[in-house]
Amino acid sequence: MEYILTIVVLIAIFVILSSSYNLVIGYGGLATVAHPIFYALGAYTSALLGIHFGLPAAICVLAGALVAVVASILLALSALRVAGDYLLIASLGFQLGLLQVIKNFEFTGGPGGISAIPNTITGPWRTPAYLLICGGIAALTVWLIARIVHGPYGRAITAMRDEELAFSALGRNAMTIKVVVFAIGCGIAGIAGGLYAFYFQYVSPDQFEVLHSAAMLTMVVLGGMGTTMGPVVGAVVLIAIPQAITFLNLPPAVMAPMQGIIFTTLVMLFLFLRPAGLVGPLSRDRMAGRTALEKSSGGVAE
Amino acid sequence: MHTKRMPTLNRRRFLQSAAAAGLAVPLVGSRAWAQSKDPLKIGVTMPLTGSQAGYGNDFVIGMRQALKDLNDAGGIAGRPLELIVLDTQAEPSLGINAMNRLINVDKAPVILTAWSAVVKAQAPTANREKVLLLNTGANAPEIAHLGEFVYTLFPLADVDISALAKYTYDKLGKRKAAVLYINNDTGIDAAKVYKDVFEKTGGQVVAYEAYDPRATEFSGMLLKVRAASPDMVHVHGLLTDVPMVIAQMRQLGLQQRVSSYSAGYNQKLIDQLGPAAEDFIVTSLAPGADDNPNVPQFLERWKKEQNRHPNGLPYIQYQYDSVQTTAQLFKHVLEKKQEPTGETMRAALLAIKEFDSPLTGKTVVDGHRVRKPVFLLSVEKGQFKPLAKLD
Repeated sequence: MEYILTIVVLIAIFVILSSSYNLVIGYGGLATVAHPIFYALGAYTSALLGIHFGLPAAICVLAGALVAVVASILLALSALRVAGDYLLIASLGFQLGLLQVIKNFEFTGGPGGISAIPNTITGPWRTPAYLLICGGIAALTVWLIARIVHGPYGRAITAMRDEELAFSALGRNAMTIKVVVFAIGCGIAGIAGGLYAFYFQYVSPDQFEVLHSAAMLTMVVLGGMGTTMGPVVGAVVLIAIPQAITFLNLPPAVMAPMQGIIFTTLVMLFLFLRPAGLVGPLSRDRMAGRTALEKSSGGVAE
Repeated sequence: MHTKRMPTLNRRRFLQSAAAAGLAVPLVGSRAWAQSKDPLKIGVTMPLTGSQAGYGNDFVIGMRQALKDLNDAGGIAGRPLELIVLDTQAEPSLGINAMNRLINVDKAPVILTAWSAVVKAQAPTANREKVLLLNTGANAPEIAHLGEFVYTLFPLADVDISALAKYTYDKLGKRKAAVLYINNDTGIDAAKVYKDVFEKTGGQVVAYEAYDPRATEFSGMLLKVRAASPDMVHVHGLLTDVPMVIAQMRQLGLQQRVSSYSAGYNQKLIDQLGPAAEDFIVTSLAPGADDNPNVPQFLERWKKEQNRHPNGLPYIQYQYDSVQTTAQLFKHVLEKKQEPTGETMRAALLAIKEFDSPLTGKTVVDGHRVRKPVFLLSVEKGQFKPLAKLD
């Protein structure tokens, strides 16, 4: 039971992460892969504050979120001047650069990471308590993002995403809206990082590599980019499947390629059959497919 | 109307069944455990896939041989031993997940693990859940300070690396060393140990360079080394990168003698490097075929069953012995009519303290470290030949 609860805590943390990533990439249309680095900033900040200053966990986690927000604004102000592919490259550079910094500082534990993060909740109720906290924050995140994107501000966000030129022509400042969306998304990722650090009591740079950007992107795409519940479904499926596979007790020779095959097959199936993801409506699939087609043929014509 | 609703229903049903399947599988596992309470469970977390899988899988083969020997001899107090092996890909987060499963689902009181980053990641969980975590192959000196439930059966880097650095100065007469190391837990701490000991002995470290674990091009670093003109080069890396470093050294005209640690003690390295491997020095923390009569037998059996050389024989000797040691802990606990838990197993480890390990000789558990003799080997005509035994 404890094991399942642990997995559910992990799922809740990833729901927070993928939902916030969806806000940035799905609703805001900001093609960034650097989401794990804000998760890392949250995790490292709260871990270090917890170890060296013994601050209460809640304050550490909030401080972690603040650092993630500040870093995201710094990145946004410089990188969001460029858009599309350039933003993608800038964000990748930011992630790799910062990871190198973390790997080479002694106080961050170098490549080995930090292991002695204080245990804030003790006793048999530890995991259920974390489940309540993480689950609550995950629900709050999903609700908050739904509130943002379904309100007037959300319409402004999607309008900016879909047609930036027209949006600017209406007198709205696209840059401000981009920075705000980016900062909210990254700040929430920072909270997820803090929760992870205190629950698992260990963080290392390996956990925030580009591979994890890919995993997060898969969660969002599989669930349905630009939908409220999509990232939730994506996180549940992508965390639960690898765990379930270990129970099949397959020999390592079979087990080894299994996860890769399952993920690749899933992504390819979804690309062809449900480009709008599990949660995205079928009718919009067709539309999305058509616009994608139009865009690609337009691209060729250009 | 009806057909329009179908997709929603199907999707929902699909999701429900997927969720049910995901939840049901672990439940089946735990029920199976409740029914067969007999075997004594040993959790094992090793990289079975990914870049370290070559070692990880051979480690497990070594463990399974010990398991078979123990079970063929009747198990412990009539109860068979069982290994539950999970993959970590040598990744910390997967190590934590695997550990959680072993503790909460399989209820293993003891977990054998390796790879420094993984051990570090698992340590908080071991201490919190009071499960005995035994390191069987990682050597970061930090492992000695990871908490009251984390012990090592494998000597940490300060044992063999300090012996090697001292030998390099005293016996080989080298005065200026270059230290190149892989920038992760394996390299950083060990390189520091080498540097400290070599300098304390009287030598000088003229170049001290780290390289990325995924690097394949080392000329920049090696040109710096050439400029510093050392008379010995110590490369502290893994089997995936050390041969590349040596090959590129020779291409750049660096002819200095090279040393590494036990990860380099592998026939594959000689096969890859050919004549460039001559005079290469490695450490080994396990006796070779000439020092222990059980080793040739083990090697013979391995070749018969696997049809090839093992990856990193000394390490595998430790894996075989780790299962033997764990079996002794179970025996001690059961003889005392106690239930095997992390706490009783830990008490047993501290009570027995000295183990007569079949493949690696006497093991003395000294707090959170172990004491072992160090063997040095050097490549001569394409073969590893004993160079020295240091106590």
